[in-house]
Amino acid sequence: MNVALWAGVLVIGGLGSVARFMVDRAVARRAARSFPFGTLTVNISGAVLLGFITGLTLSHQAALLAGTAFVGAYTTFSTWMLETQRLTEERQIWPAVANLVVSVALGLPAAMLGQWIAGLL
Amino acid sequence: MNDTYLKLTAYFGERQRAGSRFLAESMLDLYADREVAGSVMLRGIASFGPRHVIRTDQSLTLSEDPPVAIAAVDTAATIGALVGDVVEMTPRGLITLERARLLDGDLGRAALPDGRDAVKLTLYIGRRRRVDGAPAYYAVCDLLHRHGFAGASVFLGVDGTVHGQRRRARFFSNNVDVPIMLIAVGSAAQVQQVLPELEAMLRQPLATVERVQVCKRDGRLLARPPALPAVDAHGRALRQKLMIYTSEATHHDGVPIHRALVRKLWDSQIVSGATALRGIWGFHGDHKPHGDKLIQYGRQVPVMTIVVDSPEVIAACFRIVDEVTGAHGLVTSEMVPALLMLDGGARDGTTDLADYSY
Repeated sequence: MNVALWAGVLVIGGLGSVARFMVDRAVARRAARSFPFGTLTVNISGAVLLGFITGLTLSHQAALLAGTAFVGAYTTFSTWMLETQRLTEERQIWPAVANLVVSVALGLPAAMLGQWIAGLL
Repeated sequence: MNDTYLKLTAYFGERQRAGSRFLAESMLDLYADREVAGSVMLRGIASFGPRHVIRTDQSLTLSEDPPVAIAAVDTAATIGALVGDVVEMTPRGLITLERARLLDGDLGRAALPDGRDAVKLTLYIGRRRRVDGAPAYYAVCDLLHRHGFAGASVFLGVDGTVHGQRRRARFFSNNVDVPIMLIAVGSAAQVQQVLPELEAMLRQPLATVERVQVCKRDGRLLARPPALPAVDAHGRALRQKLMIYTSEATHHDGVPIHRALVRKLWDSQIVSGATALRGIWGFHGDHKPHGDKLIQYGRQVPVMTIVVDSPEVIAACFRIVDEVTGAHGLVTSEMVPALLMLDGGARDGTTDLADYSY
């Protein structure tokens, strides 16, 4: 059971990172702007998803696989930080500040929204 | 010496493969095998091509397949003999051929093209070559700046050949001889003046000169890109290249000029592509040579954006170039006698050199 769970984290985590890559790329290519819309989309949708997953009463294992493995690999804190730093490197201060503020301002309600949807079920 | 040489430039995505290996690696192997006099591989920071897919190092996901540009310079015979192989191994990319003069041997005695057009001087220098204890490219940029050159930018090569020898950068190596490319624009008289000093400084460096027209300098419009015909007397297509030299620190509309430029060109859907390369040191116009410092607010390095297309498209997109370089930037135009666009089986253009004097 334990080995199966670890293997599940590996596989589902891998799927999560592939999903991030696809979503981020699709959004970023369309926008093609300095502002990192791709990463923002991934992080906000991930927050909704994680809120939703924790709002369901899942077993310990299912919560680990869906939350930690999938959403954990899907969302990205490091890219959020890196892309903000890239903006400051180009002296695009307002987009950099907006990237921090908007992510937090949308992220918290997104997680709440996910939990609220789960509560309706 | 002073013969007509050819410069073969290939632009493609770094993850392109030739069979089981990376295309860039296979191409450099070929150049080493043929002992190409000078070649250098540069990694770009932003680009798009005919498929209109944008790549940029601003976003992690869009930077996973960055553009590369590999330039190779040698005699018409050597380049002519390998261009077929390059075309064959490239699944998707842009290949251009341009005429250049190689200033081999003693630079002090080299003869330059005459005419009132400007000259693009390209030097290939070892990455860690030093002059008076400082990197050689500092000394060269200072010299060119003192002589009033319109600009000079230094690009770090990651692989290449120097006098036929492969020089590839490695992580655990001091990479002394890995080539860097220094591109300078000045008048023929200015280039003639600095050659003896460059010779004394660098001792027989690999150098080429090409004819260019300076279109803009520090925001001032000096001349529009010359209106070239679509084809030469034999019906071979002529192409034109714009090179836009800016700095990371100069903005247009709140973003660095090259970002605005690539984005506007992409938005416009006029041009079939553009590639931006970030330099490590350089200057343009009246600014002193600059680059990144340890403690700084925003990057200071030079950036070069390249657009190659038909004369008609170049004339149409010059409006965008002119707009974003309203206050800063050096813009030059050149004729490109041969261009081939490859995408799988689809081919557009040819590697036969067109002939046109203007």
